[in-house]
Amino acid sequence: MQTEKFYYDNKTVRNFAYATILWGIVGMLAGLWVSLQLVFPSLNITQYGSFGRLRPLHTNAVIFAFVGNGIFMGVYYSLQRLCKARMYNDTLSKIHFWGWQLIIVFAAITLPLGITSGKEYAELEWPIDIAITLIWVVFGWNMFATIIKRREKHLYVAIWFYIATFVTVAVLHIVNSFELPVTLFKSYSWYAGVQDALVQWWYGHNAVAFFLTTPYLGMMYYFMPKAANRPVYSYRLSIIHFWALIFLYIWAGPHHLLYTALPNWAQSLGVVFSFMLIFPSWGGMINGLLTLRGAWDRVRDDVILKFMVVAVTAYGMATFEGPMLALKNVNAIAHFTDWIIAHVHIGALGWNGMLTFGIIYWLIPRIFSTTLFSKKLAHNHFWLATLGMIFYAVPMYWAGFTQSSMWKQFTESGQLKYSFLETVTYLKPFYAMRSFGGTLYLIGVVLMVYNIYKTVKSGKLVENEVAEAPPLVVEHKRQSGEHWHRWIERKPVYLMVLSLIVILIGGAIELIPTFLIKSNVPTISSVKPYTPLELQGRDIYIREGCYVCHSQMVRPFRSETERYGEYSKAGEFVYDHPFQWGSKRTGPDLAREGTGNLKKTDGWHFRHLREPSSMSEGSIMPAYSFMLEQNLDTSSTAAKIRAMQTMGVPYEKNFDRKANQLLMEQANKISKNLLSDSIRVSPRKEVIAIIAYLQRLGKDISKP
Amino acid sequence: MFKFIKQYASTIENCQVYPMISLIIFFVFFVVLLWFVIKMDKKSVTHLSNIPLDKPEIESNH
Ligand code: HEC
Repeated sequence: MQTEKFYYDNKTVRNFAYATILWGIVGMLAGLWVSLQLVFPSLNITQYGSFGRLRPLHTNAVIFAFVGNGIFMGVYYSLQRLCKARMYNDTLSKIHFWGWQLIIVFAAITLPLGITSGKEYAELEWPIDIAITLIWVVFGWNMFATIIKRREKHLYVAIWFYIATFVTVAVLHIVNSFELPVTLFKSYSWYAGVQDALVQWWYGHNAVAFFLTTPYLGMMYYFMPKAANRPVYSYRLSIIHFWALIFLYIWAGPHHLLYTALPNWAQSLGVVFSFMLIFPSWGGMINGLLTLRGAWDRVRDDVILKFMVVAVTAYGMATFEGPMLALKNVNAIAHFTDWIIAHVHIGALGWNGMLTFGIIYWLIPRIFSTTLFSKKLAHNHFWLATLGMIFYAVPMYWAGFTQSSMWKQFTESGQLKYSFLETVTYLKPFYAMRSFGGTLYLIGVVLMVYNIYKTVKSGKLVENEVAEAPPLVVEHKRQSGEHWHRWIERKPVYLMVLSLIVILIGGAIELIPTFLIKSNVPTISSVKPYTPLELQGRDIYIREGCYVCHSQMVRPFRSETERYGEYSKAGEFVYDHPFQWGSKRTGPDLAREGTGNLKKTDGWHFRHLREPSSMSEGSIMPAYSFMLEQNLDTSSTAAKIRAMQTMGVPYEKNFDRKANQLLMEQANKISKNLLSDSIRVSPRKEVIAIIAYLQRLGKDISKP
Repeated sequence: MFKFIKQYASTIENCQVYPMISLIIFFVFFVVLLWFVIKMDKKSVTHLSNIPLDKPEIESNH
């Protein structure tokens, strides 16, 4: 048959590769910086540089900028070769590339400004959410059109992973981003409390699954055979890996909410499916590693294979640990501690990082038609990265165990053995060691930058790489007796629809009952909407990212009810748009901060916010002295009340008109109160609002 | 329409059945998947797994 001549687009691949490296450094620097802030709280410089605002910058940069660009680099390179076709449209490729970078830049600007939706890993505000949707569609369009005009009849398994990624991320992003805009930079999550939590962690967990895992598995299935120059160990296993993985992952979200106010049946669902995930995950790991069967001697000299082997091993470790962490008794120990931080960094530094580096070292010399500048430097990078990962993870595991056991210990007379503050100061050396590990890892990346720079200099980009293949004869009909899966493989759209159905089943069974069945969220009549001042204070709490260090979820353990008070009930959160349960206790739980033995005076909070270490010696909480100077923006109060009403919060009719008057009344009271504690501060300052909110926490349920 | 579904769903008393239902769905799905994967013919498996490697000699002719 006549072959056709065509050209692969390497320029877009190169651009995404550069962006991966650039944002990788930015994201890792941000991570290193926030880790140092936990050792030296004085590094919280100005409000724009405080931990609560920068940690989301770190997570977003690593996930969506570093790994995100890594995905596109891998997809644009491998998809063209697997389809034997150039990307469908160069303009779409350009829009995709620049649009994604623009989104990242907006994220990097808005997050330090405190513009956030307050939902972890989905912090970006609504205009950026819309931009993400549009660019994601451009990506999908470009990808599908390429697949449709392909010259290879069959879709290799990597492409299925890409398709599932595209479909699922789209669904997740849209469902989780339902929000009601109040201003250009402020919106409220449409969901409240328990429902918001469930949707958020359904999203959060599947962001791990379908952003950090499935596209990278696709890349593993392409680049590992390439680098080893042998086919994948078992193609059959890869099919099972694919379907079982996407089927199971979508259910696992509730394991982030064990022992919380989430209905029990949803928790059990999360546990069971998380546990089963170990099988396809390990199937995939084994499939990856066994691809190197008979080539293990090459791993010793080939640095690219080294990176890939460690990456896949880290994938195996993280996916063994994940199901264990989802068991209720393990979760009771690990949740809210640094153990989870260790777990995610095995994934991020090991799986995503190492695989990305391996692919970059493999791909850059090829598209520049040259050889790698220095194998030795790459080897050094490999060892720095591996050591960095160990120095990162070991102290964090240790810190996690220690923290948890200190939280739970009682003295013989039945009292809690340690104050929360003691656990905080005890952990500082571990945090310092973690920063050291991170530094090693980052130095490795700097070596890579130099190595890649020299490599690029020594070659010339082959912008359009020539290739040849016979055109595809289109067959529309399923031949009789043809295997159904083979048939689906040829039909990308069916494949997409089928994976969509698979993930929707899980999503629907999990989410819909929580929304529809009343008994899942029993109402508590004493729970009332926030006052206007408290609502504003809550928005400051969200803006500052207090939730990255503080939980608002008392679990039903004696060690927690002793420390914090009555455990949390689903009905307490019905007016919380968005929920603020948190996922990490760098500081203590605040759900009962305004009541019981946690209750403090307004003056205490004022002094603590101004200079935390003045009230709690050795505290690592950032100082919020700027709240003493900044005036509360009350121009938005009425709009906020109306937004809440739209979402069903029962403020009385026309409440928005008198909201600011009520707000001032409450503020004046607090200001007077502070005066009697010899603190002179205008009632218009932000600090007044946040104190009002902190004093409200837990109050409703303790009413007689 | 939505109201109707809502009313209907809120009468489901025991949500404990959900984990069971989902397990059964998965089990059926998995068995069917396994069956078809085992039944795939060897030639196409070889062809598919060689796609990334660009080795024309293994190109099969379906
Ligand atoms: C870097 C993580 C971090 C951030 C961000 C953070 N905190 Fe803290 N917070 C802590 C730590 C650690 C403690 C315990 C030591 C202490 O009392 O200062 C604490 C203690 C507290 C306490 C005292 C709780 C008690 O019962 O003893 C309150 C109240 C508090 N924080 C409020 C806030 C508010 C409000 C914000 C956001 C404006 C915030 N925190 C942001 C780490 C943090």
